[in-house]
Amino acid sequence: MRETVDPEFAAYVDAREARWLRSAYLVYGEPERAEEQLLHAFTRLALRWGKEDDPDAFVQRLLYQPALSRRSRPKPFQDDDEDEHPVKVALAGLSPAQRAVLVLLYFDELTEFEVADVLGVSHAAVHGHAQTALSALRSGLGHGDWRNAEDRR
Amino acid sequence: MRREDVRPLLEQAARTLPEPDLADAAWSGALAIRRRRRRSTTIAGIVVLLVLAIAALVAGLSRNSAEVVPPEIAPTLPPGYIRPAGQISGMDFWVAPPSGSERFLDRLATPLGDSLRLPSETVELTTMPLQEIAAVLLSETDGIYTPLLLGADSRWVHATVELDPIATGSPLGTGAVSPNGRLVAFPQPRGVVVIDATTAVTRRFSLPADDLRSVSWLPDSARVLVNGPTAAYRVLAGLCCRGEETVVPVQPASDVYAATAPYRLDGGPGRVELRRYSLNGGWTLESTLGLPASSWVGQTSSLGATAARLFVADRLPQVQTTASRPQLIAAISTEQSSPSRLLVLGETPAATPPPTPGPALPDAVRTPGCCFVLGWYDPHTPLFQVAGWVLAWDLETGQVRRVTELEVNTVALGPGIAG
Repeated sequence: MRETVDPEFAAYVDAREARWLRSAYLVYGEPERAEEQLLHAFTRLALRWGKEDDPDAFVQRLLYQPALSRRSRPKPFQDDDEDEHPVKVALAGLSPAQRAVLVLLYFDELTEFEVADVLGVSHAAVHGHAQTALSALRSGLGHGDWRNAEDRR
Repeated sequence: MRREDVRPLLEQAARTLPEPDLADAAWSGALAIRRRRRRSTTIAGIVVLLVLAIAALVAGLSRNSAEVVPPEIAPTLPPGYIRPAGQISGMDFWVAPPSGSERFLDRLATPLGDSLRLPSETVELTTMPLQEIAAVLLSETDGIYTPLLLGADSRWVHATVELDPIATGSPLGTGAVSPNGRLVAFPQPRGVVVIDATTAVTRRFSLPADDLRSVSWLPDSARVLVNGPTAAYRVLAGLCCRGEETVVPVQPASDVYAATAPYRLDGGPGRVELRRYSLNGGWTLESTLGLPASSWVGQTSSLGATAARLFVADRLPQVQTTASRPQLIAAISTEQSSPSRLLVLGETPAATPPPTPGPALPDAVRTPGCCFVLGWYDPHTPLFQVAGWVLAWDLETGQVRRVTELEVNTVALGPGIAG
């Protein structure tokens, strides 16, 4: 392993770090925790740089799976006193799994199968979490239940 | 709210975050982890080795303290080692191959060759001196003997000196060649003749006794004992020791072949004495052995710390004989670290059963006088003569090998035999 950063690794990180930091922030609800998790994931990737077939999946697993752990359950958006953003409030009302599924599906735009692979859960569980999360987000933002015919347009 | 509206809402919620720059931090973090892992691996390896070493030490100590455990690997024996046939008087003994089997023994290569006979052609010693004598023969013409010397380089030379016969016939004895291989001595009536093979100089020393029969060199190769039945002398034959008397009388032995130097083996059954000769004190007792010797044959021949001589035993429970008495070569060591050993020269058992009931007569016997010690090949290989053969006995392995077949009656061997 070389002493200075590998240019290909630097280019890889530069291309993804901003987007994944925001994803992680939306999942964890804490900017410091999000940056810490992302740095941890990139550090592990640096140790295995050149050996991983799918670096994106490797980083995303390390980035999001801790959010589902009972021991490191995040406390989202509790320090944002000055900015009571309705989306953050709505996200804070979701479970960590629901939040992670919602972010991966609608922010990172992964498929349900890819989300199941990243989070290490079944496809059915992802589908269920997605439905519940979307419904809760709608309710939290005052749009009513998505299952109402009127709202589904 | 539609599904495609979710992403803009989420981007809006996350837009306040600063732009990160994690590449360098991630890479340096990985380097630190790798260094830490290597350090941990090294430390773990050292700890494991230490634990194993301590465990082995503890196991070794506990085993030692518990009991004496025989080694897993038996001590190695020299190649070709033969187990002794038993013990006689507390000494291991081996049995020599039977008479008639000498030709089929492994051969010990020496300058003597396969068979030893009088050479057809020789050169004069004065024209071609020898550095080291391997063997000495005598050529007889009209009752006059001429010495023939074989060098370590297998060259035969003859000395231009005429030797008279002594009371027993040929004036050649087994102790004729000096330990350094340069001098050879012949007892003569009223004197002794010494030939220096390196210079071809012959010296004749006159002695008062008429009947002198054997010679034996001291380890310094300068003095020689000349023995007769009634008188014995120590003659200074080498070029040393200015001021010392040339001829000094010493106490004669009843057995003219017994008075040898530096060691002398003689004595009766159960009390065999090993004595050492010194210039001032004569023979002093070194040790007493319980060997069953009834009579001795030939001279004691010594090399280093071992003295060898052949004796005839009356009857031994360890050795079955029907028509003869067993003869044994005793190789007696004066060092505690190396054991004394015996070689039995027994009978050749009958190849076919007897026609009438009773003990079978042996096919061959070795009569007393047929066999005696001739000298040494090296410090652990004495050479001895049996009827018509010179054989070598390896003290370390117990093996007996053939050296040469004798086509002459008498031979004296020197250190040049080792080549």
